[in-house]
Amino acid sequence: MLKFLLACVMLMPLVNSWWAVQSSLFVLSFIMAIYCYHDFSNYMMGWCFNIDSLGYILILLSFWITSLVVCSSQKVLKDNNYPSLFLLVNIFLLFFLVMTFSVNDYLLFYISFESSLIPTLILILGWGYQPERLQAGVYMLFYTLFASLPLLVSLISLYNMSGSLTLGLVENVSGAGFIPCVWYVVTVFAFIVKLPMFLVHLWLPKAHVEAPVAGSMILAGVLLKLGGYGLIRVLPLFGEVNKSLSWLWVSISLVGGVVVSLMCLRQVDMKALIAYSSVAHMGLVLSGLVVFGWWGLNGAVVVMIGHGLCSSGLFCLANMVYERVGSRSLLISKGLMNFMPSMALWWFLLSAGNMAAPPTLNLLGEISLIISVVSWSKVSMLSIALLSFFSAAYTLYMFSLSQHGKYYSSLFSCCSGKVREYLILMLHWLPLNVLILKSSTIMCIL
Amino acid sequence: MVSMYLSSMLFLVSGSLSCLMLSLMCLKSGQAWFIEWELLSLNSSSIVMTLILDWMSFMFLGFVMFISSMVLYYSGEYMSGDNNMNRFMYLVLAFVMSMGFLIISPNLVSILLGWDGLGLVSYALVIYYQNEKSANAGMLTALSNRVGDVAILLAISLFFSCGGWNFLFYVDNMPSMNVSGLLCGLVVLAAMTKSAQIPFSAWLPAAMAAPTPVSALVHSSTLVTAGVYLLIRFSPALEGRLSQSVLLLLSSLTMFMAGLGANFEYDLKKIIALSTLSQLGVMMSILSLGYADLAFFHLLAHALFKALLFMCAGAVIHSVKDYQDIRMMGGLVYHMPLTGMCMNLANLALCGTPFLAGFYSKDMILEVAFMSSINMVSFLLYALATGLTVCYTMRLVYYTLSGDFNLGNLYSVSDEGKIMTNPMIGLSIGAVFGGASLAWLIFPCPYMICMSPFFKMLALIVSIIGGIVGYMLNLNAVNYKLNSLNGYEFVVFGGSMWFMPFLSTYGVSKGFLSSGETYQKVGDMGWSEYYGGQGIYSFIMTSSKNLQVLQDNNMKVYMLSFLLWVIVLVFIVI
Repeated sequence: MLKFLLACVMLMPLVNSWWAVQSSLFVLSFIMAIYCYHDFSNYMMGWCFNIDSLGYILILLSFWITSLVVCSSQKVLKDNNYPSLFLLVNIFLLFFLVMTFSVNDYLLFYISFESSLIPTLILILGWGYQPERLQAGVYMLFYTLFASLPLLVSLISLYNMSGSLTLGLVENVSGAGFIPCVWYVVTVFAFIVKLPMFLVHLWLPKAHVEAPVAGSMILAGVLLKLGGYGLIRVLPLFGEVNKSLSWLWVSISLVGGVVVSLMCLRQVDMKALIAYSSVAHMGLVLSGLVVFGWWGLNGAVVVMIGHGLCSSGLFCLANMVYERVGSRSLLISKGLMNFMPSMALWWFLLSAGNMAAPPTLNLLGEISLIISVVSWSKVSMLSIALLSFFSAAYTLYMFSLSQHGKYYSSLFSCCSGKVREYLILMLHWLPLNVLILKSSTIMCIL
Repeated sequence: MVSMYLSSMLFLVSGSLSCLMLSLMCLKSGQAWFIEWELLSLNSSSIVMTLILDWMSFMFLGFVMFISSMVLYYSGEYMSGDNNMNRFMYLVLAFVMSMGFLIISPNLVSILLGWDGLGLVSYALVIYYQNEKSANAGMLTALSNRVGDVAILLAISLFFSCGGWNFLFYVDNMPSMNVSGLLCGLVVLAAMTKSAQIPFSAWLPAAMAAPTPVSALVHSSTLVTAGVYLLIRFSPALEGRLSQSVLLLLSSLTMFMAGLGANFEYDLKKIIALSTLSQLGVMMSILSLGYADLAFFHLLAHALFKALLFMCAGAVIHSVKDYQDIRMMGGLVYHMPLTGMCMNLANLALCGTPFLAGFYSKDMILEVAFMSSINMVSFLLYALATGLTVCYTMRLVYYTLSGDFNLGNLYSVSDEGKIMTNPMIGLSIGAVFGGASLAWLIFPCPYMICMSPFFKMLALIVSIIGGIVGYMLNLNAVNYKLNSLNGYEFVVFGGSMWFMPFLSTYGVSKGFLSSGETYQKVGDMGWSEYYGGQGIYSFIMTSSKNLQVLQDNNMKVYMLSFLLWVIVLVFIVI
C-alpha cells in the first residue's frame, strides 16, 4: 500500500507541470486497477495499512475521480489561476482519501477523515466562483466537525474498553441500555452527517453548488462515500443497539429521500438539483446499511460507486454549461441540444444513469437495496416507490429543460464540445455501465 | 453510401425472416432454448441474464422486426426533410433493440433492461420534435411508464423470497407463496401502465406528438404490447386471483371508453391511438379471462394492421400539408387510391371483417368471451365496444376518404412516393394473410365454440349497426344544427377520455409540486436552518453578546457579583 501512498506524495514536486500530474494520475489508476484480481480478503498489508475489497474499490474510485477532476479543470490552467497550487491541494486530498480507505486503525481513520476536509475547504474557498462560497465552506466544515468531534470521544472510549483500536480487534459494545445507545448515536452521527441523512443535509447543497467543478466532483464522487465507508466499519461494533435503533435511521432517510426528491422538482439551479438528488440516493444507501442485510451492504457499496461516477459526471456536464453560458440556472441554459447536440447524448446517458436505468451500476445497487429494505419491512415499499418515481421525474425535468425546447435567445454561440470533455464523460459513463458485467468485483465484498 | 433507412430495413427484414423460420421450427418440434448467464450470486440468490428462445419469442420477435423494418424504410421518405434524421434512425433502432431484450427475457431482472430501455427510448422519441406539446407528452409518457418500472422493482424485491427471478419457473406454483397476491398485483399494475389501461390511459393519445413512424412502430405494435406480453408470460400465476377480476373490469372499461372517445375526436392520429387503446383493452380482457394464447394472437394480428393504418395516416398527413384534423380532409380516395386501399384494408381488418386478419383473432376472442362465465357488465362492454369500433372506423372513412372534399385551395395530394407506399403494401399482405396463417399456426387444435344463434350473430349485428350509425351520424352539412351541444356534459365526458388527461397531469402534479415548494421554503430554508446552521449561529451570537456584559468592566456588575458571593458564602457558613 505504501507504493501508492508514496506515489501520491511524490506527485507533489511535479505540480509545476500539469501534464505530468495528469498522466501520472491516470497511470496510478490503472496500476491500482490491476489489483482487482486480489485473491485474498485482506491484502497489501504493511505498517498500518491493509486493503480489503471495500477499501480497494473506494481507493480505485478516488484515483479515478481525481484524474478526471484534473482533466476537467483545464480552465484553471488556461486562466493561470494558480494551477500548481490547485494541483497540490488536489494531491493532498487524494493522499488523505487513500489513507482513509486503507488504514487499519480507527484513530488513524478518524485523523485522515478529518484531514480530508481541509483540502476540500481550500478548494472551495480558493477556486470557487461566487461570494456565497464563504458560507458554503463554513457550513461544510462546521456541520462535519460538530458531528465528528464526539466520534473522537467515542473512539477513545472504545480504546478504553478494548485496549486496541485496530480494525477487527475491537470488542463489540454489548447490551442495548442507555449508555450503549448514546455511544452508538455519538459514533454513528458523524457518518450520518457526512452521508448525509435528510435532516442534517444542509451543508451539501451549499458546498456542492459553490465549489468549483473539481470540488463538486470530488465531494459527490468520493467524500460522501467516506460516510458510507465509516458506517460499514463502525456499525458491526454496535450490533445489538443497532437492532433497536435502525428504524429511526431508515424512517428518516427514506421519508427524507421522498421530501428531498420533491424539492428537486422545484430547483432552478442545475447543481442544486444534482446535489439534492445525491441526498436522496444516499438516503437509500443509509437505509440499506442499517438494516444489516447482506444484500443491503453490497447494494450500498454498489450504489456508492455508481452514484460517485454518475453524479460526478453530471457535475462535469453542469460545469461545461456554466463555462459557456455563465449561469447555472435552468431557465437560462435551456435548449442546449440546438447548440451542443452530441453533448445532449451524454446528458441523456448520465441522466439515465441517475435514475437507475439498466445496465448501470445504479440499477444493480438499487435493486439490492430495495430487496434488503423491503425484506426488513414491507411498509417501506411506499416510500421506495415514491423515491424511485420522483428520481425519474426530476432527472427528466432537468434533462428536458436543459436540452430541449427553444434556446435562450441571448446566447450567441458556444463551442459544441471539445474532445477532452467528451473523453471525461466517456470515462465516467464507461465504468458505470460496463462494470455490471463483472459486478462480483464490487458486489460480493468482505 | 447506403442510406440508413435502406440498410436498416434490409437488416431487420433478414432478421425477421430468420426469426419467423425459427419459430416455425420450434412450433413443429416443440423445442425451446433457454440460455442463462449468471451475473452474480449472493447468499444463494443469483441475478442472471436469461434468454428464452421458444416459438412465442421467435414469432413476436419476427413480427416486431418485420414491422420495424417496414417502418424504418417508410421513415426514409417521411422524415426526409428533417435535419436530424440520423438521430431519429438510431433512436428507433435502439427502441427495437430494447424491445428485443424484453421479448427474450423470462427473468424479472433482465426484463428491466428492455422495460426501462423502452420507457426511456420512447421518451426520447416522443420529444423528438422540440415544441411544448411534445415536451409535455414526453413527460406524461415517461412518468406513466415509470410507475410501471417502479412496480416491477418492487415486484423484484418481493420475488426475492423465491430465491431467484426467473419467473418462468415460479408461475405455476405461485399460489403457494405468501406474498403472491401483492406480487401479482404489482406485475398487473406494471402491465397496466405500459399498456395504458385505465387509470393510466392518458399518455397514449398524448404520445401522438411523436413523428408518425414512431407512432406506427411504438404506439401501435411494440411498446404498448409489452405489458400484454409480460402478462402472457405471467398468466399461469394469475389464476383465480383478485388481480384477474380487477384487470377484467378495468380493461373492459378501457375498451369501452376508448371506443367512445374515438367517436368524438377530430385529430386523425388521436383516433387511431384511441383505437389502439380499445384493442389493447380487448387483449387485456381476454387475458384476464385466462386465455393467454388468444391475447397473443390478437397482439400479433393487431400489430400488423395497426402499423399499416398509422403508415397510411402518415401518408395522408403529408399530403394534406401536415395538419391532422380530419375535418380538413375528405375525398382522398379519388386522389390517393393506393393509400386509400391500404387504409381501407386496415380499417376493415380492424372491424373484424370476415377472413381478413382481424376477423380470426377478434371474432374468436368475442366468441370465447361470450361463452365463458363473465358478468353482465363485461358482456355489455364487449358488445358495445365492438359496435363502437366499427362506428368510429366508418366515421374515419367518411371524413378522410369518402366524404366531401374539405382541403384548402392549394393542395398537392399524391400517392407517388414509392418509399412510403411499398412498405404499406408489405404490411397489407400481412393484414390479408396474417390472421389466417397465425390461426393455423398457433391453434393446431381450434377452440370449441358452442353458442346460441343470437350470441353467434351478436358480433355481426353489433358491427353492422355500429357501421351504419357511424356513417350516417356524421353525414352533415353546414346548415345542420349541432345537436350534440344539447348533451354537452356527456359529450365532454366521453370525448375527453373521461377526464383522464386532466387528472393524470394537473390533478397529480399540482399537489406534489406545491408540497415540494413548501418543503423547500418552510423546511430546508426554514425549520432545518432554525435547528441547524442559522439557528445555532444566532444562538451562539446572542449568548456571546449576553456573556459580553460580564466583560465590560462595569462597576455595577462587579458590585452585584460581590454581593451575590457574600450571600452565598454567608449561607454556607450558616
